[in-house]
This record gives sequence, C-alpha cells and structure tokens, in this order.
Amino acid sequence: MKTKVRMLVTSIAGLLAICSPMFAHHGAAAYDMSKPVVLKDAVVTQFAWINPHPLIKADYKDEKGNVQHWTMEMGSTPASQLIGWTRATLKPGDVVTLYVWQAKTGLTVGRFNKVVFADGKVMRDTQTGTDNGGRADTDVGR
Amino acid sequence: MRNRFTGAAVGLAAVLVFSSFAAAQTAQSQPKQVNEARSPWKYYPMDRAVGDGGPAPKRDLTGTWAGPGSGAAVPRGTNAQAPTAPPLTPLGKQLYDQNKPIGKYSPAGTNDPHTRYCDPFGFPQNMTNEIRGMTITTLPNRTFILIQYMDLWREIWTDGRALPTDVASGKDGLDPRYNGYSVGHWEDDYTFAVDTTGLDDSTWTTKNGYPHSIDAHVQERYHRDAKNDLTLTITMDDPKLYTKPFVLGEEHFRWIPNQQVDDFTCIPSQVQEYLKEMGDPAGFDPNAPPQRR
Repeated sequence: MKTKVRMLVTSIAGLLAICSPMFAHHGAAAYDMSKPVVLKDAVVTQFAWINPHPLIKADYKDEKGNVQHWTMEMGSTPASQLIGWTRATLKPGDVVTLYVWQAKTGLTVGRFNKVVFADGKVMRDTQTGTDNGGRADTDVGR
Repeated sequence: MRNRFTGAAVGLAAVLVFSSFAAAQTAQSQPKQVNEARSPWKYYPMDRAVGDGGPAPKRDLTGTWAGPGSGAAVPRGTNAQAPTAPPLTPLGKQLYDQNKPIGKYSPAGTNDPHTRYCDPFGFPQNMTNEIRGMTITTLPNRTFILIQYMDLWREIWTDGRALPTDVASGKDGLDPRYNGYSVGHWEDDYTFAVDTTGLDDSTWTTKNGYPHSIDAHVQERYHRDAKNDLTLTITMDDPKLYTKPFVLGEEHFRWIPNQQVDDFTCIPSQVQEYLKEMGDPAGFDPNAPPQRR
C-alpha cells in the first residue's frame, strides 16, 4: 500500500513535470516565443549533433537577396532520438523550410521549432516543437 | 459554494491522479514493440520494465536503473532541482546571491561552472541534476554508484567506519572531494542509508544555485520498493548555511530490462562551440526588448 501511495505521488509529480513548459537544460526567456520566424528554402550548412544541444546551421536568402546565416538549438540528443532524430536527419546541402523562435537579441540565432522537408515531411523539436511552442514529445512519455 | 469549489478541486485532482497514474502504468506495462533486431549493446528507452516485477529482493540494490532523465517515462521526482530550502544564514544568503542559475539567466548569463565549463556537479547535485542512468554494485566492504552522466562513480564504505571529522582542518586534514566521503548501512532489508560529508564547496547543491559548505551532512535513503522500483530521498543538514535541515528531493528509478545505458556527458569543446555559436548570442536578459543588429 505504501508503495502504491508512493507511486501515486511520483506519478502526479511526473504529470506536472511533463505538462511544464520549462526546458530541460535552460529556460526560454531568451527567445521570442510569440511567433516563429520562417526560413523558406533554407540551405543546411551543418548539423552538429553535440551536447548540451544539437545545432542546426543554415543559410537563408531573404526577400532582398541577402544571405542570412542562422544557428538554432534543439532538444538534447537523447530526447531528440526518442522522436526519431538521428545525427543523419539533416545534412549539408539539404533545402528545407525551418521554423525558429528567434532570440530577443535579434541576432540570427534561436530555438528550433520544426523543419519541413522537400517531400512535405515534418520533424519537430522535443520541447518547443508544436505550433504554439509546446512540447512535441509527450506521446513518448519521456 | 466553497464546498462545491472544494469538490470540483478534489474531482480535478482525482482525474489528474487517475490519468497520470494510468498513463504511467500503461507506459510501464505496455512497452513499445519494435520488430527490429535488438543489439545487446544498445540502450532502448522505449523498452521498459513491466509492472513492479514482484517483491523487492532483500538488501540488494545491484543493477542498472533508469532515472527521471532517462527517456524511459520514469516519474519525475519532487523538488530535486529546486527544493524548498529553509531560511539561509547570513553566510548562506551571501553565497546564494552570488550564484546565477541557468534557469533564470540562460546559458549566456549564468555563472554555473558546469554549464559554462563542464566542471563537475559534485555531490549531491550529481544525484539530482541530469540523473539519467545509474548502476549500483557492491564489494564486501563498499558499494559503488556509477552515474551515467559524466561517467563518474561514488564510493560508499560499508565496513563500519565513521565519517571523517578532519576534512579541511589544519595542515593534516583530509582534502574536500567533489563527492565527499561516504559511509552506508542497511536500515532494514529494503532501505540502504548513505551519509556523506567533506564536500568541495566550489560546487552547487542544486541546479538552482543553492550552495553548501564543506561540512554539509547529506543523507540518502535508497528504498527498494519492488523488483523494478527504487526510490531515493535526499536530505541535507548544513547549519553554517541553512537554519535547519531540509529535503533536497525524491527521485524514482526503474529497472532497465537489458541493463544498458547510453553515453551522455558534458564535453568541454562542444560546450564552448555551443556557447560561442548559440548560447551567448541568444543573450540572457528576459526583459530585454529586441535589438536587431
């Protein structure tokens, strides 16, 4: 009985933790989470599968033809693997559309939201991957 | 009206409790079946222990366990990274005010030595922060806790010796250690108690920046709830910095079916790349208006 109560309490805590919008590694305060920036037809220049967060680097040509160099972070490697990411999901030269929550500094860095591949396939960030910036990994019960 | 509100609140809590418990049980009792060859060398977070596995063995914690950060749907513990601490002493407050935790200051503004440089968490933070996989093994006179994150181990003496009282005292005193000095004993057939002191005071107690002194006394209780379940409760008594003892947190662990964990650690060169390319340019002032450059 004591064990069941203990499990119950920890399960409640678990639910609250899953519902929490907090980042596992750090907070979202640095990012403008009101609306993602859309980088259509961006060209991936590097996919760095590193700790504490993988980095997606891509070049994006704006409406004036200027090339912007973007860097964005995503969920940790173990967390991202749970929803299908591998170190080979993106590679240099891939032309994709990237959605990113830009840093409030206004620099071309941000928190990755989702990527739309040429064939229409969508892959999302673990923690800010839904269209409103919520967790996209709740169904794997991490 | 008040009764109705109370009734609604209780009802909502009951739904949350039921759905949470059911979800946890479902996740644990119906592991995802993948029709792929399984490597005995790989950790599969979706392969999860089924149920509680039966009664707990007596005086035995041996094995490899999935913690709350393992990706194996282990219920999160309570307070582990941001406990409710009692009032600090003047010295404790002075030290606490110097620390800028990542949760508030982001990677760019924090002075957390682990975030910026991969410096060791030290104990007890390494039992609550990034706690993923853990292996416990024993020798006749010691128990070892092998922690996946940062590939480190803790040594707990079980030969009956007392904790040292001369850490950092005089020229012949013992040096403080990142993991301190630990002794352990069985309180009963299912509860292993560990006492630790002599902690390196350059490390933080928690992710949210609570400090500790060298003389802090930390007690862990590992309770084997069942074959597949282990619960760790951590308390700290540090009268130099806190006005009374307090619970740092409670962590739950689940048995890993194939007993494997992955490689996951803080790598200084990667952290420097991350901070240079991402963390520092992203800034840290949550109230800063956009300043496009």
